Amino acid sequence: MSPSNPDQERYGAQVAALQAALDSGDGGAFRHAFEGLCEQMDAGLLPELRRLTATAQSALARFSADARLDKLAGHEVPDARKRLTHVVKLTDEAAHKTMDLVDRCGPLVDEAARGSALLLESWDSFRDRHAAVAHLWPERAATFLERTRADSEALRGHLSELVMAQGFQDITGQIIRSVILLVDELEQVLGKLVRIAEGDEVTSIVRSLPVPASWERGLGPQVAGLESPDAVSGQDDIDALLSAMAAGK
Amino acid sequence: MSNNVKFLVVDDFSTMRRIVKNLLQELGYNDITEADDGNTALPLLQAGSFDVLITDWNMPGMPGIDLLKAVRADAKLAKLPVLMLTAEAKREQIVEAVQAGASGYVIKPFTAVTLKEKLDKMLAARAAA
Repeated sequence: MSPSNPDQERYGAQVAALQAALDSGDGGAFRHAFEGLCEQMDAGLLPELRRLTATAQSALARFSADARLDKLAGHEVPDARKRLTHVVKLTDEAAHKTMDLVDRCGPLVDEAARGSALLLESWDSFRDRHAAVAHLWPERAATFLERTRADSEALRGHLSELVMAQGFQDITGQIIRSVILLVDELEQVLGKLVRIAEGDEVTSIVRSLPVPASWERGLGPQVAGLESPDAVSGQDDIDALLSAMAAGK
Repeated sequence: MSNNVKFLVVDDFSTMRRIVKNLLQELGYNDITEADDGNTALPLLQAGSFDVLITDWNMPGMPGIDLLKAVRADAKLAKLPVLMLTAEAKREQIVEAVQAGASGYVIKPFTAVTLKEKLDKMLAARAAA
């Protein structure tokens, strides 16, 4: 046997002791040598076992990260888009429902205004013709009719304002739609990350990422706290800008 | 005079189209057609004899600024009064719209008074021309 043989170096002495104990029939010495040999073998296996365990753990960790990414890209992000689309649909329905009701209120208000005006007219002509019994007509009835006519005017104004206020649906809808576009982009990016994790070419993936929004296509409404530094403050600001441009022509 | 003015209202949100239509009717204008983006509006404009175009900017198909440019590029429509009714608020955009030939620019959210004022101004300019 060559001295460079690692098995010879590691186990040689114990195997020799084992053989000697066997030959001499010494059961106690044989068991002792045998156990020593087993311990020696276990010690040699441990580092290998540790390495295998670590590899298995990192494979497991990587698998759960990939699964999380898959779940995000495959379900949660598309679900987020559906939820937002649903919000836009609900506000659209609520705004239309409000306007339907305003449409139905209009004729009722008009009828109240028309009816009270007609009654007042009749009352005026009756009073002119029958001044002697005019005091029998209760004053508060006339006041009520006057009031109804005035209230109908105010109510008509409020109903118009109510319709104008439904403009919130357009403003919030545009903001939510821009978030939906963002979610779309996120979904594409995540899908590409999953493909990178699966070993696809990184450069071709980066090249095909979505293009950011441009002002030519429209950026949507300004959002409090996120205003563009270049944004106007309101209609007055726009009117001033337009006048300045017209004067500069 | 107000009753025979023919309007085209372009916005991708049906609520906003309804609001504008409602306002126009209150102002006595009853000839109102609707479209939901530039792509559907342009053929209507080319086929019909509209007097005023009111358009949003930010729409999924053809945006309002492209519709405005297409209108100005069409000899038959070049003089059509066009009111931008939009939430787009960057100065750069307003300048672009005016340079592209917008007759007025109303920012959302807007009031009935503002819309009436700009419309009256546009219609007066149209009558004087």
